[in-house]
Amino acid sequence: MSYAYLFKYIIIGDTGVGKSCLLLQFTDKRFQPVHDLTIGVEFGARMITIDGKQIKLQIWDTAGQESFRSITRSYYRGAAGALLVYDITRRDTFNHLTTWLEDARQHSNSNMVIMLIGNKSDLEARREVKKEEGEAFAREHGLIFMETSAKTAANVEEAFINTAKEIYQKIQDGVFDINNEANGIKIGPQHSPANQSLNVGGSGGNQGGNCC
Amino acid sequence: MAFLQWRRFNFFDKEAVKNPATDQVFDLLKDVNVSACTSGRGQLVVGDFEGNLYFINRQMELTAFRAYEIRVTHLTQLKQHNLLISIGEDEQGINPLIKVWNLDKMERGSPTCTRLTRAIPGNKPTPVSAFAVHDNLNFMAVGFENGIVLLFKGDVTRERHSKSRNVFEGTKRVTGLVFKTMGKDVILYVVTENSLHTVNITAKDAHMKLDDTGANPGCIVMTDASQDNQLVIGRPDAVYFYQPDGRGPCLAFEGIKLQLHWFRGYLIVVGKESKAMPRAPVLGPHGMEMNTVTVYDIQNKFIAYSAPYPEVIDVMCESGSIFIFTGDRKLYQLQEKDTQSKLEMLFKKNNYSLAISLAKSQQLDQDGLIDIFTQYGDHLYGKGDHDGAIDQYIKTIGKLEASYVIRKFLDAQRIHNLTKYLQALHKSQIATEEHTTLLLNCYTKLKDVSKLDEFIMTKNREVDFDVETAINVCRQSGYCKHALALAEKHEKHEHYLKIQLEDIKDYQKALAYIGKLEFEPAESNLKQYGKILMSQVPNETTELLKRLCTDYRPNDKPLIDQVSLDGGIGKIQKAQAEEFIHIFVNNAGKLTEFLEHMIEVQPASSNLVYNTLLELYLHDMVHEKVISARVERERKTLELLKNPDANYDIDQALILCQMNNFKAGILYLYEKAHLYQQILRYHMEHNEYVHVIESCKKFGQQDPQLWVQALSYFACKEENCKSQLMETLTHIDKKNLLPPLMVIQILAHNSTATLSVVKDYIVRRLQMENDQIAEDERLIKQYKEDTEKKRIKIEDLKTSAKVFQASKCNICSHALELPSVHFLCEPHSFHQHCFESYSENDMECPVCAPENRKIMDIIRAQEQSRDFHEFFHNQLERAPDGFSVVADYFGRGVFNKVTLITDQTGKGVSGTSTYR
Repeated sequence: MSYAYLFKYIIIGDTGVGKSCLLLQFTDKRFQPVHDLTIGVEFGARMITIDGKQIKLQIWDTAGQESFRSITRSYYRGAAGALLVYDITRRDTFNHLTTWLEDARQHSNSNMVIMLIGNKSDLEARREVKKEEGEAFAREHGLIFMETSAKTAANVEEAFINTAKEIYQKIQDGVFDINNEANGIKIGPQHSPANQSLNVGGSGGNQGGNCC
Repeated sequence: MAFLQWRRFNFFDKEAVKNPATDQVFDLLKDVNVSACTSGRGQLVVGDFEGNLYFINRQMELTAFRAYEIRVTHLTQLKQHNLLISIGEDEQGINPLIKVWNLDKMERGSPTCTRLTRAIPGNKPTPVSAFAVHDNLNFMAVGFENGIVLLFKGDVTRERHSKSRNVFEGTKRVTGLVFKTMGKDVILYVVTENSLHTVNITAKDAHMKLDDTGANPGCIVMTDASQDNQLVIGRPDAVYFYQPDGRGPCLAFEGIKLQLHWFRGYLIVVGKESKAMPRAPVLGPHGMEMNTVTVYDIQNKFIAYSAPYPEVIDVMCESGSIFIFTGDRKLYQLQEKDTQSKLEMLFKKNNYSLAISLAKSQQLDQDGLIDIFTQYGDHLYGKGDHDGAIDQYIKTIGKLEASYVIRKFLDAQRIHNLTKYLQALHKSQIATEEHTTLLLNCYTKLKDVSKLDEFIMTKNREVDFDVETAINVCRQSGYCKHALALAEKHEKHEHYLKIQLEDIKDYQKALAYIGKLEFEPAESNLKQYGKILMSQVPNETTELLKRLCTDYRPNDKPLIDQVSLDGGIGKIQKAQAEEFIHIFVNNAGKLTEFLEHMIEVQPASSNLVYNTLLELYLHDMVHEKVISARVERERKTLELLKNPDANYDIDQALILCQMNNFKAGILYLYEKAHLYQQILRYHMEHNEYVHVIESCKKFGQQDPQLWVQALSYFACKEENCKSQLMETLTHIDKKNLLPPLMVIQILAHNSTATLSVVKDYIVRRLQMENDQIAEDERLIKQYKEDTEKKRIKIEDLKTSAKVFQASKCNICSHALELPSVHFLCEPHSFHQHCFESYSENDMECPVCAPENRKIMDIIRAQEQSRDFHEFFHNQLERAPDGFSVVADYFGRGVFNKVTLITDQTGKGVSGTSTYR
């Protein structure tokens, strides 16, 4: 499948917050109530359309377990977007956000778009973290915020697509250097030859125009 | 920590390989100092440090030959060709030799060596550390201790045309080389001790570094197509997957890995017992270290087998099983269990979801899968997880008997779940009527209107249920709107109207609906429901009926449809108005309106229409109290009666008029039916003298008897009606309708009629009769005289002679010459030749013949007509004086027998005939 851009995402957060389920819901549109622990790093992909452009999302779903942290860290590099997930029914997962955020900022490029996600919004009865708290945290750290439910698929699509829109906007604004694959953005096969030749002399400032 | 692993199963049966000859444990390699192993095409190949190659075939028979003088270091068996490529040393300190063996061509117990090449990177001799051959036999890569990779291009089986070049130069030992074909490109993965690279050998050796860490020898393997042909690298922290463009996922299997192998979607990892494991490293027999062989199912994410083995030398995957060659020179075979027993194991552990994914990846047939879904469903149901259970049962739709599931949930009163199942059933289009009924009942029981809406109202959806059932159920459970929508959508007009009229009682809509229908359904439905509609919405119904009975076209149809556009003449569809009359029961006003419209636009309506309309008019008229309105109505009624197009039944109309005492109508109808007597009698009954006289005058021409009747009528009248009598008499007199005696007899009945009334009449009459008698007598006298004359003449002819003295021929008027012919009649004389040329008959005088014939004809006619009795009766009836007719007939000899006497005289002399 041809695409205009490929964006690389990572999904991070404590174990059991529903990272893999979010991915499964987004890529396969299904929900698996009994999901095995993620051992290592898994991977999913889906095409979306933004602004009339086909964009391939390559999503890296990491293990939340502390013991796998060193492995997962090596995957931060080269991600254009990150979904930082916590579980609204478990306050400790919310409390760990700072650590995750630091980790992410430290091991990835600074322009990475981070979306804060409070998952399991279907379990309203067992909520421990208020939506306002999530919003406040996001505001404080300059993140986008959203509450989702991988079970009911509420906001799942939006979470991924909004992140992609943000990245796309940053490309338009020239924040990302799209020719540096370490940024987690790749130009699609049919676009690359023309763009590459155009970008030889150009700097980040006018790259937005090149992709049209 | 212990749980940071996949679920563990035992899907492989371990078995020590036996020597078939001795039935003992296979020990033929007992003393071999193994240096390299490979396998392919049904045989295992082992090389040793003495330079020997051993082949073990399927029957576990061992063959061997010496390939190198010193030792064998690397072996590769190609998958698609029976070629074995080996690297080893023939001389100490000299560069290693690559030998290509054609195993199909045996030469004195050993295969033919088709190629022998020295592996030297540049001019510095170094040992070979990695080796790979592309299956297309065109590329061969050799990696060296010093980090150089040499690529041989061209047919690998021959030295000729083979070129070699350095494609990579690293700093550390090359530990692995793997070819991968991507479309037209051939990519070589180069793994060194500290890095991982790709070299695109078909595109100018384009080089890319994939990772900063490398791998130990043996810990590099290629997956098969089920996992996208990824490169798998085992490192102590995890197993990493690579694509040519970068690192892919990783699986965090901890522990030091010694070897990686790939077998049919399984990743086989030979590792050292992890230090973290609770067990201390166990030493095997002969003080050998124990290794763990773990088989991972990458796709379904579980451990398919795991067991310790003493110092694993190599693992070979051949003939559908895994052969593990251990340090104690034993060969173990791991045989994969069949899918069914694997599934049974999973079922025992209630691990159904895994069973499902496993079954799918093993391409189990549909029935098998259904079976799993059913079991899973049963299991979840048993656990009380009805939601989950129904999801599984839904997957069994089409195979598993639906009633099995339905009964389960029906008994448990799990209507929500049942609903879901039934929905799915409908979606897969195998729902029966009962299912539809049940589903709709569920909806209604749950009062789930929105779902019901969705089920029923969704537009442009394929209908996957039985519409009539759905309508009925909805209707019964009071969801009339839904039933209505369904009926409308599926054009079940009957149902629609029934619901609209009987349940919702929205007559306007029902009417509008009918108006939109095509002709036939509109007609039949209107017949059926017209009465109800009429009683509720008379105006609209009447309008619709008017349309229906004139030139009907559905409401929403364009005025000019395709047919008329195409130039064809659209069929005018109209219903018979009389068929709808019954609808207007109790609504005479509307019926009048309707019928008026009908006869206006369609004058040739049937007589039923006119009759009914007439009846209505009369009815209205009779019940109209206001005089002026009544007059108006009478006028209208009469107009109708007089309408030349009006096709009413006269008799019925007459009865109607009489019943309603509508005088003008009655009279008109009598007149129309030529019942003048009736008119007269009508007037008489009502004692309307003037009218009596008038009608007599009016119709006297057609029926003179009217006058007679009028006379007797007036005669019977006790009151004074002299003038009328006079007039009547005058007319009777004029037309001579009655003999005077009768007149007097009639008048005698009247006590008031005096002689003066009839005096004139009688005097005139007697006078006339006198005259008549005189005339008759005169005629009699004349006839008598004539008769007498004739008698005398006949007598004369009979007795006295006749003298022929004519001198001229009566034909040519010339002087008579002989021969001549004479007749007695006049007497007439002719030349014979004249006579012969003129006469038709020898007996007849040509001069008298026409006259005679005329008389004969009259006589004959009279005789003939004598027998026409009918004619006689007719004449008798028509004649003003019957007696004269009888007399005339008598005169013609009605009572005579044969009267015609033909007197024949001799030929050539004379001929005459007697008469009376």
